[in-house]
Amino acid sequence: MSGWFQRFGWVASGALVPLLTLASPALLQLGGVGPAWSVLWLLPWALVDGPLSGALAGLGLALVLDGLHLGPVSEIPALVLLGWWWGRLGRKGLPIERSFSLGLLALLGAALLGLTLILQWAWLGQLTGPVLYSWLAQTLLTALLAPMVCSVLLLFWRQSGVGARS
Amino acid sequence: MQAGRRLRLPPMRLLLQAWPWGLVLLALLAVRLSKGAGFADAYALISRPFWPGPAQGEWVKQAQRLEDQTRLRQLTADNQRLRQLLQLRSQSRDELQAPVISRDAGGWWQQLVIGLGAMQGVQAGDPVLAPGGLIGRVASVTPTTATVALLTDRSSHLGVWVARTQQHGLLSGLGTSRLVLRFLDKDPGVRPGDVVVTSPASTLLPPNITVGVIQSVNALASPAPEAVVQLSARADAVDWVRVLPRVVAP
Repeated sequence: MSGWFQRFGWVASGALVPLLTLASPALLQLGGVGPAWSVLWLLPWALVDGPLSGALAGLGLALVLDGLHLGPVSEIPALVLLGWWWGRLGRKGLPIERSFSLGLLALLGAALLGLTLILQWAWLGQLTGPVLYSWLAQTLLTALLAPMVCSVLLLFWRQSGVGARS
Repeated sequence: MQAGRRLRLPPMRLLLQAWPWGLVLLALLAVRLSKGAGFADAYALISRPFWPGPAQGEWVKQAQRLEDQTRLRQLTADNQRLRQLLQLRSQSRDELQAPVISRDAGGWWQQLVIGLGAMQGVQAGDPVLAPGGLIGRVASVTPTTATVALLTDRSSHLGVWVARTQQHGLLSGLGTSRLVLRFLDKDPGVRPGDVVVTSPASTLLPPNITVGVIQSVNALASPAPEAVVQLSARADAVDWVRVLPRVVAP
């Protein structure tokens, strides 16, 4: 059972991202805005498994998340870029494990993700509502949760030898 | 070009090894094109024990009574008028009750996900009502869920009319809680407080469903007057909706 969980646990955790995005648990919201779950999952995955795997995981995740929204904007550019960038960071120097580093990377990632969505909405002329408020709240909340969530996922994937495959 | 900087293709062995991942990406692309099929259905299955119950309280009943009274008045007046003109056939089957199972702060005025889908007879284009009146139409369906495009979405345009003056107009979303109603006539004769309902001439929606109430009128707007409309249903605080499956014409 544990062997099966170690092999396919990353798939299960990845599938949790769209489910958590749909559920948007009220306990983990800041002013009604939830965190960027895709960033919280992609950051440790890319750090452990490298740039190519990170970019592909970002692409896959973005395809699913785009499917859950009616709007014409896409998360693909931001998540592919973040997966690649974090994968390169993970392959250089010492492993990134400190809470501050994970929080800072998640902060930058969530900010970039929100910014690309805002730019796309602005480009389409459909920018409405408290966009700045949602963006700031999501970025801050993602950065606050990253040390907890990402540390657990990093530990889990390093123990299950995810990075050793590539 | 130097040899070390030449573009290198990945070896064929690696490409052959990666075909399962290609299949995974194709599957995810299918999820994207089907608007979340699989994931939305899995979420509906998992979250079923936590769907909102009948504890919405008195405001739901109050809004329902208000809607019933308004509809009754509209239908009575409409019936009398139509009896003189033609015989209408029924346009909708029995309505379906559906819980709202997901809302997103980013698309609060744009969409919501409900816990009924194609297996229960929901189709794209079906009108969706909340206590108080119409809130949107089904935009996409998966086997057990459906995504509803709200009237408040900027891409929403709906033909409606003001029953008191019998003036038609185009109701458009603004991405906020209010909507704008653009009249076709230069002098619509409407005033704040007039009730806006779905057009009896509409082929997409059943007639005389309450949509909202006119808040203010801008008679100087060009090329025709405009009115700000407040939805009669509270699209921001709804957790159960009614879907009216349409009868497809033979």
